[in-house]
Amino acid sequence: MKIFQIALGILAAIGGFVDIGDLVFNMQAGAKFQYSLLWVVVVGVVGIIVYSEMCGRVAAVSKRPVFDAIRERMGFGVGLGALVSSQIVNLMTLAAEVGGMALALELLSGLPYRALIVVGIVVLAIVIWVAPFDWIERIFGYCGLALLVFAVGAIKLHPDWSHVAHGFVPNVSSSEPLIYAYFAVGLLGAAMTPYEVYFYSSGAIEEGWTPKDLGLNKANAMIGYALGGFLSFALMITAGVLFFPQGIEPELIGTVGLGAQVPFGAIGLVLALVGILFAVGGAAIDTCFSGAYNLAQFFGWEWGKHRRPRDAPRFTIAWAVLLLLALLVIMTGIDPVMLTEYAVIFSVVALPLTYIPILLVANDTAYMGRYTNGRVANAFGLVYLVIIMLVAVSAIPLMIITHQGQG
Amino acid sequence: MSEELDLGLGLLDHQLVDCDGRRCGNVDDLELEGLREGALRVTAILVGPPVWRGRGWFGRIASALATGPTVRVPWEEVEKIDSAVHLKKTARELRLGRGDDKARRFVDWIPGS
Repeated sequence: MKIFQIALGILAAIGGFVDIGDLVFNMQAGAKFQYSLLWVVVVGVVGIIVYSEMCGRVAAVSKRPVFDAIRERMGFGVGLGALVSSQIVNLMTLAAEVGGMALALELLSGLPYRALIVVGIVVLAIVIWVAPFDWIERIFGYCGLALLVFAVGAIKLHPDWSHVAHGFVPNVSSSEPLIYAYFAVGLLGAAMTPYEVYFYSSGAIEEGWTPKDLGLNKANAMIGYALGGFLSFALMITAGVLFFPQGIEPELIGTVGLGAQVPFGAIGLVLALVGILFAVGGAAIDTCFSGAYNLAQFFGWEWGKHRRPRDAPRFTIAWAVLLLLALLVIMTGIDPVMLTEYAVIFSVVALPLTYIPILLVANDTAYMGRYTNGRVANAFGLVYLVIIMLVAVSAIPLMIITHQGQG
Repeated sequence: MSEELDLGLGLLDHQLVDCDGRRCGNVDDLELEGLREGALRVTAILVGPPVWRGRGWFGRIASALATGPTVRVPWEEVEKIDSAVHLKKTARELRLGRGDDKARRFVDWIPGS
């Protein structure tokens, strides 16, 4: 029974790994540089595993979610700065995910895009209101597994596997180093988005984790995210086979779907779109909750889906308002793919403010007792802190110099 | 509660939890006594937007934008401190968590709340 539970959690983590940031950056990176950025995805996936495991452990042992730690360690001022920046990025991401949902629905149904945005928001609101926390995670996670069509598709497209293997060896493109660096930063940002750790740690508290669940935490973070990373590889390989030789740049969600249509025909396209719909829809809920968690935790309000809405009213109002704001943003007609790129790049800048407090608290015996970081977790944690700093400093200059990777 | 406690890291900005397990604010500031005599003592926990004024630039801006009173929780009302600060009474008795109490009417008319 325990194994079964863990397996279910892992499945949901795989399906929940990919969001619109991963879709956009993996596809574009594959189309532009074929397989040569695959190694960056590995770096990003290991990073999210290291920090998710850490913040899951902190949550299970000390019952403190990430934003509590941010305010407690960084103080009110810096904490508020982190709150404001993370809320802006969260809103951009949420709006982009909703736009992605509407694009997938449009391709599936043929109905007008703007009407589908409204439908998407209403459905999300009802699901959040009605369904219990673990059900939300599972429904979207399992249906998101339809994205596995890209994994099977990538094999069926017969890529040159020796080229693919070379992509896993760290390398630097000599022809367009700055654009290459821009995509590397974007891929890292997409894999290590801050909202994932906010959501992961608050989710652990929602589900009432205790030190007994540390095994589950390790399994979810390591196996779930590692297998989720395979979906990222599959997306990049697919784009590398199909779009790179033709010089196509996938600017639309529909082009992404093509990656499954070529090997499998119409059924492949439908599976891809359903997968995208649920992966992106699940991510929309995660970002929406993350925004409400952060706000409630910073100000000390009651929060959580495990409370009834009337017992956590400001938290409830917060997620509802975020959904409404996302609706307004995406209804302006802004391109979700472009919005995604901005959201991922800006989120990279906010990464250190999120990850430094996690590392500090995970080493603090006052919080963690005997469950503080071991040597391995600290070694990885420090290496990634350096990577995150480098990436945070270079993200916006690279975006400006390369005109968002356009050259 | 005679153990050593780093006020800056172990108390300030931590979550307040009432005797029913309800989250009801953060430790926004502390009221201290005995600084001159060299026997520093925490006399109360201070909560609310007006106290943010003492918390740097961002605190001043946030304090100007937000409304709400300062709530003073006497130190005697603290039950224990772990990663959160646990209080002896309910939030209502200590006049904490009133923002949530006020916001409730926007939510509790919806079926299933």
